[in-house]
Amino acid sequence: MVFPGIDFFLVLIIYIMIFLIITLSYNLAYGYTGIPDFGRAMAAGAGGFLCGYLPGRLMAYLMGIKEDYLGNVLIIVDKINVVLEKDPLMSIGLLVLTLILGAAAGGILGLIASLPLFRGIRLFYLGVTLLAIQISFNTIVYHWEPIIRGEFGVPIPDPFKWLGHYCPPNVAPSFMRLMGVIITSGIVLAITAYYCISVSRSPLGRLLKAIRDDERSVEALGRDVRKIYVKVMTVSYALTGMAGVLFAFYQRYVIGLNFDKVAWTFWPIAMVILGGLANNKGTVIGTIVFITLKRFIMFYKADLEFILPFSPVWLEGILLGTLLMAMLIYRPRGLFPETPEIPLSREEIEKLRKRT
Amino acid sequence: MEISLPPLLSHAIVYANVISFMTISATLTLTKTKVPNFAVATFGTIGIYISFTCIKIFGIGLYPSLIFCFLGGGVIGVIIYLLIIKPLRRRGATGEEMMIATLGLDIFLIALLNIYADFLTRSFKIMARDFTLEVYDFKAGGIDGVFIVSTLVFFLIFVSLHLIFSKTNIGIALKAVGENPSLAECEGIDTEMLYVITWFLAGALPAIGGCFFPVYWIANPTTSYFVIVTVFSGCVLGGFATIYDAALGGYIVALAQTVLVSYLSDIVGLWILPYSFLVPLLTMIVTIFLFPQGIYGLPWSRLIEKWHLMIKRGGNMEG
Repeated sequence: MVFPGIDFFLVLIIYIMIFLIITLSYNLAYGYTGIPDFGRAMAAGAGGFLCGYLPGRLMAYLMGIKEDYLGNVLIIVDKINVVLEKDPLMSIGLLVLTLILGAAAGGILGLIASLPLFRGIRLFYLGVTLLAIQISFNTIVYHWEPIIRGEFGVPIPDPFKWLGHYCPPNVAPSFMRLMGVIITSGIVLAITAYYCISVSRSPLGRLLKAIRDDERSVEALGRDVRKIYVKVMTVSYALTGMAGVLFAFYQRYVIGLNFDKVAWTFWPIAMVILGGLANNKGTVIGTIVFITLKRFIMFYKADLEFILPFSPVWLEGILLGTLLMAMLIYRPRGLFPETPEIPLSREEIEKLRKRT
Repeated sequence: MEISLPPLLSHAIVYANVISFMTISATLTLTKTKVPNFAVATFGTIGIYISFTCIKIFGIGLYPSLIFCFLGGGVIGVIIYLLIIKPLRRRGATGEEMMIATLGLDIFLIALLNIYADFLTRSFKIMARDFTLEVYDFKAGGIDGVFIVSTLVFFLIFVSLHLIFSKTNIGIALKAVGENPSLAECEGIDTEMLYVITWFLAGALPAIGGCFFPVYWIANPTTSYFVIVTVFSGCVLGGFATIYDAALGGYIVALAQTVLVSYLSDIVGLWILPYSFLVPLLTMIVTIFLFPQGIYGLPWSRLIEKWHLMIKRGGNMEG
């Protein structure tokens, strides 16, 4: 049996970080607010496909390249990469700009996707609608070539290429590139985690939980629940949009088949449910467990071929489906059930207790 | 005597029959058992593979295999109820949890169907993916058999369901269970048996639809991905309320999708065909924004009154 090398673990870290951004933001929508969001892949796709569409064209425009972009995309992206390799500032600028625009694209999509809520529809209808919109979104990107050449896809300019010049001796440039992706993903993840944890400990977090538990009571207290739903969806989708950008930059290529509903919607749902709804710690653990398991299955796919009575390609579906159903039947609150969030630190509580 | 039926009409009606079987199934599970079934289209794929197995392995004809689709699909529906839905219901799962569970079920069933297709290919050396069953169809007076049989079976089942739901004690009991299961239980209704019956129908109806699908269209284990938007759209248009609205919703959406896209492809070109799903998607969005209760929630009595008024005014003006 072959053991995975260092690259495997670096890629594993990247996957965990990217999916943590998605699951933490999903937990905000479903775990805290109770929105059955089945369109998460669309948000990641908004960022990822934007990454395939925009940075290359923008750089080509700045470099004065007049050729047809999609027709000569391989040559043009090569030229762009030569420029980016020599210019770290431009690379970082391009990366940051795409992340911001990816978040904006995700946010706009979240806003649009949640508009039916203003019509007072049942949350079940929203689930159905989002799933249908997501399938349609992927089909449009897959078939409509002017976006990213559909099934052929497009290469993406590499904003981490310049890191190869700062490579220590005996270290491959690809290692530096992966480190660049890890650091960037780490920063975005830190922002996401800080935001999600802050919300969970704030009055807003308690309001979201109250909406989830009893929407009508919150409405009776004068809160506009629909507006809150829309805000949560917009923010949550914006965060997921950034995860899509990071994934596309990591892959350096995006095709119309990327960001499918199973990998980018159903797996994150399973991760959140496994860890525990409305529990960020549980979500983190659920994500790490699932992604590690998935990556190891992919790595040992050839070995599994001899053990399993069926092709390991279908193992993912069997595992995901079984886990989702089993968790919902036997442990619906996840491995780490929701606990009351204490807004004050223990010391502050002790101080207050002494004072009284 | 040969009657020539335009292929478009024949395809549109068969597609509408298939979709309506699924919309009725999805509406039944939601209204009677409070389960939003996201795996409904995959129940149809199960029907496809039951008929495929009957034809290719056991040498049974396409239409005789309908009985196996009905029974097989129904039994699978009951097994799913007993193994997944019942335990979830017992622990008081919410609607959202039920939705996610049926999504998990959908993924699980698609993986199983893929494994089964691999098994058929390996063991029987038959192409169990991307196949059609067109050669097993017959022609009667120039009309495709699938058009006649699917339409007859659909109306036969629809009338049977109507009679069951409106004229029998089971139908009345099902209505009571759908509205208030606890109260129905207090009245001595065996709710458990009714849930089993509902899930039998929920599995059997899409499976029958699935039997007709491969006669005109290519089938594989992921066929459900291509029809699911249409099925949901039909359900939303119907208003997830009664089998009549579900059937009408399914019929309208499926006919609109087939006829409109075919008409548009003649005008703008064949490139439009992959975007045919936009018709059901737009129908769904328009329904949600303009009349979220669907056909069921439309003020029919007021609309009919207005219609009569318009006809009267038209008559007076002519006079």
